Amino acid sequence: MSLALELTDLRHRFGDLVALDGISFGVGEGEIVGLVGRNGAGKTTTMRAIMGILRPDRGAVRWLGHEVGEGDRMRFGYMPEERGLYAQMALRHQVAYFARLHGLEREAALAAADGWLDRLGLSGRADERLVALSHGNQQRVQLAVALVHEPRLLVLDEPFAGLDPEAVDSLSEVLRERALAGAAILFSSHQLELVERICRRVVIVDAGRILAAGTLRELRVRFPAQLRVRVDTDEDWASALPGVTVAGVDEEGVLLVVDPGVDPQTVLRAAQARGPVDHFAFETGGLLELYRRMVSG
Amino acid sequence: MSGWVAVRLIAGREIAERLQGRVIRVMTLLTALLVIAGVTIPGLISGSSAPTRIGLVGTPAQALAPSLRRIAQAARVRVSTSDFADDAAARRALAGGRLDAALIAGPSSARIESEQGISASVRAVIGSALDGAHLRSELALAGIPLTKVLPALTPVPVTVAELHPKAPDQAARDVAAVAAALLMYVSLAMYGGAVATGVAQEKTSRTAEVLLAAVRPRQLLTGKVLGIGATALGQLGIAAVAGLIANAVVHSARIPGSVIALIPAFLVCFLAGFLLFAFALAAAGALVARQEEVQMVTTPIMVLLVIGYVLVYPAVSSPNAGWVRVVSFLPPMTPMLMPARIALGHLAWWELPLSALIMAASVYGMVRLASRVYANALIHGGPRLGWRAALAIR
Ligand SMILES: Nc1ncnc2c1ncn2[C@@H]1O[C@H](COP(=O)(O)OP(=O)(O)OP(=O)(O)O)[C@@H](O)[C@H]1O
Ligand SMILES: [Mg+2]
Repeated sequence: MSLALELTDLRHRFGDLVALDGISFGVGEGEIVGLVGRNGAGKTTTMRAIMGILRPDRGAVRWLGHEVGEGDRMRFGYMPEERGLYAQMALRHQVAYFARLHGLEREAALAAADGWLDRLGLSGRADERLVALSHGNQQRVQLAVALVHEPRLLVLDEPFAGLDPEAVDSLSEVLRERALAGAAILFSSHQLELVERICRRVVIVDAGRILAAGTLRELRVRFPAQLRVRVDTDEDWASALPGVTVAGVDEEGVLLVVDPGVDPQTVLRAAQARGPVDHFAFETGGLLELYRRMVSG
Repeated sequence: MSGWVAVRLIAGREIAERLQGRVIRVMTLLTALLVIAGVTIPGLISGSSAPTRIGLVGTPAQALAPSLRRIAQAARVRVSTSDFADDAAARRALAGGRLDAALIAGPSSARIESEQGISASVRAVIGSALDGAHLRSELALAGIPLTKVLPALTPVPVTVAELHPKAPDQAARDVAAVAAALLMYVSLAMYGGAVATGVAQEKTSRTAEVLLAAVRPRQLLTGKVLGIGATALGQLGIAAVAGLIANAVVHSARIPGSVIALIPAFLVCFLAGFLLFAFALAAAGALVARQEEVQMVTTPIMVLLVIGYVLVYPAVSSPNAGWVRVVSFLPPMTPMLMPARIALGHLAWWELPLSALIMAASVYGMVRLASRVYANALIHGGPRLGWRAALAIR
């Protein structure tokens, strides 16, 4: 896939602290990429480098093949980790103001502001000042600001934090919609089940480096799979299989760790040879599980 | 988006935000009142230098008119005379305010009547006119021909050389100088302070980060300073118009032309002073980590404004002092002291162009320095920065 956004070897230090230690990855047009990693891993720093708020010591940020320029940034949308808007400004004017800073004309900006406020569940409140809103609703306004100019690249730093389930759903839907419209989307989150649901690809960072990047399926094959099999037998049928270790036995059956490269079909056949199989499934694969194994390993 | 479109948008938001507040309305009203007072009060003060109107009652008194005027002129006391047929008519004129004093002179005595007394100098002028007349009539009675004693009667010519003459409109000039400095100080402190507060707000609320994703720090800084500056100029413009109208209404021809010419000079000085201070205060505002720290970082800059204002008082009492000249060329002092000196009217022709040049150069230097500090400090997440530390960030 051709990458719309491309980061190559971003490096940055804050004094002695190495925040980015060679970050390289990309986001394609129409693609949603999740950026995950523990606190202090370097997600926010990476995003600030993309937005040009921080100039990394080294490395390049490219957009459609060229170094990002000011004109490109007009078509980027950003939601920073630490939310910030004008407390005393009315929502409608606030969102429209940021739209105009991104090049929209006055009328178009107001119309877009109204549209996005409606879309994000703030219809009827457009004339209220930001301070009058609850934390979660302020965050919706912040999202409206990031989205109002229909950016080609969306960079959202923990956009789901603090949203109620309804807002989470509507934001997920918005992101899918924007991706379908061709936008490249990068967001960070600690809610891994959300990342798993929304993203096609994830990038896992740790200590300023990329630990792993790819689709869930791609990441999965790098680890031994865990298979749970329930066969109606008391015998130990699995230990002797090559590349297979028994991780545990209980009433749910046996839990097997299967090395990469072992064909699960051979395991299934061995099980069937002992008796009727009423459960045969991979247990790993959740991003959370993968993440835990990667970050701890 | 071209740089200036963004600057205009940012400035527009600043103006809109300020026009919404109540502070601006109150301040506009107060400033206009201050200017109106500055225009009308000098007129009222210098009213005391109007000629003293003396009513001459009866023939002996009326005969004194020529010598009264001559003596008054020699003594630089302004008087005007008019004739009255009797006491009653003169008293009516006194009560009606058309007359300041009535002189009722008999053959050997005289009375001066007034509502509230007359100045010592007017009293002396009338006294010596009476004395001269008395002397002449006594000499005539004694049979001494007037021509013989005329030399003795001629006053010894005394020239009074004023080494530093006060202009006749000095009071008006002094008031205008102090009023201009006060208004300059208040406006710079208020609108400069608004710049620092606004910058700190954007930084501490992290709005700056959202803004900086779309515009460059330079645009953000310029837009903010220009927006707030335009609001300030608008407010001062209203005050200036109010002042001109007040001047027309009170028809105060006593206000020297130079005081009226002070209005455009004031606006130019304000513009230069505002740029100088606003950029400095914007950089200061960007140093803070919390809104409460704004006061602390801006105090050293604000103190300069106070000093400039306070120095106007000694400058008014000795406008020709060397130190006044020198200090008025120091950029942070210029906005307060130059308009005052213009009002006082003791400028050499080269002083204004030189001062303008110095101001322009220092504004340029300040813009460069402040932009750098601002851009570095605005996205700095840590605790409050010092100027040096902010400059040192790459
Ligand atoms: N302005 C700064 N000055 C000094 N150190 C910083 C600054 N910003 C980030 N860091 C450090 O850089 C490292 C990476 O921080 P970053 O904010 O990118 O992490 P993150 O992945 O976003 O973490 P989190 O999940 O907590 O948001 C951290 O160790 C952090 O302390
Ligand atoms: Mg972060």
